[in-house]
Amino acid sequence: MSDATRSRLGPLDYAAVVAVLAALGYALASPRIESQGDAARMLFVHVPTIWLAYLAFAVTFIASIAYLVTNKLRWDHVAGASAEIGVVFTTVAIIGGMVWGKATWNVYWTWDARLTLTAIMLFVYVGYLALRRVIADPEVRARRSAVLGIIGLLQLIPVHFSVTWWRTLHQTNTFRPRDIQMDGPILAALLGSVAAFTVVYAALLRHRIRLEKLEHAARAAAAAPVGPVAGDAVTAPNVNRAGGQP
Amino acid sequence: MIHRYWKFFVPAIVVLGVLIVLLVNLSANLVYFRTPTELLNEIEPSEARLRLGGQVVEGSVLENGETLLLTVTDGRESTTVVHNGVVPQLFSEGQGVIVEGTWDGSAFHSDSMLIRHDEQYRTEDNVTYDSVEHKLEDS
Repeated sequence: MSDATRSRLGPLDYAAVVAVLAALGYALASPRIESQGDAARMLFVHVPTIWLAYLAFAVTFIASIAYLVTNKLRWDHVAGASAEIGVVFTTVAIIGGMVWGKATWNVYWTWDARLTLTAIMLFVYVGYLALRRVIADPEVRARRSAVLGIIGLLQLIPVHFSVTWWRTLHQTNTFRPRDIQMDGPILAALLGSVAAFTVVYAALLRHRIRLEKLEHAARAAAAAPVGPVAGDAVTAPNVNRAGGQP
Repeated sequence: MIHRYWKFFVPAIVVLGVLIVLLVNLSANLVYFRTPTELLNEIEPSEARLRLGGQVVEGSVLENGETLLLTVTDGRESTTVVHNGVVPQLFSEGQGVIVEGTWDGSAFHSDSMLIRHDEQYRTEDNVTYDSVEHKLEDS
């Protein structure tokens, strides 16, 4: 096994764990939020998780463009890996939001524009992941999922601005240009946990790309012509097929 | 090959089905609630259920057995609400609420109430901050 495919915990992983524990500890010690009770501390998990979802889908978008431009499969690996992390964190953001919603709004789920659009975003990216599981040829798969990875990001605009464009139960955006509706101590704790969760994203992305590469190598090995010697099938991953496909 | 198509179509149909359900719900709820101004000027009294949102007017809340009387305002107009149902924990005067029920032309009869909190996250010490470190003014 090469260095890139070895599954060992690195400094980044430990940094992620320490950062999240420190940030959440700091957030719990931050002053109470006026008129919303302790349930509002969900803020320090809810905002960072949806931020990670946005970030992950944006990375998928950039990696998808990079793949279409360069035709290098490693960009496809980044796109797929990041989208999967985005799906996980969208789910966590929705579940965390439901807990907070029950405590504050008195309802777990309702069909307001923000909640519904977020659910749509989740299912579109679940569809993206399903698409990646279906196409066998790595080049075809990379091209088709890149198209979806690029179009998919457009959803972020209505998801983010839904609370401004339409009348929703969800409160409007706290972060407006040059006008942040949040007091300093709460803002500091929130930025801390956003930063900590971003480290978690980096650590997860590194591992997920490694797995994506292993999967790719395994599939290439399985697809290689079966020769009399098993060694042939594993040492000849058919990576470079540029020009061979329409 | 057939096997591969099934692997695609089954998840594709499930995802598309879910998306259609979500989109139908979205279009029905783009306007999640109506305001007192709209209620008084645009909406005919009927048995149709709708949601009304606004702030609870200070001093307007009256408890009468199981019934809660309150006035909800959007800053321009206000509506009397007769609420028969659960009252959420965070309910208070001055709080944003969304009630669901029917409009009879003079009062809104609701059986379900949600709290709508605003986008402001303030500390309880009543100090306004302009950045992490500096207190701007005591209010």
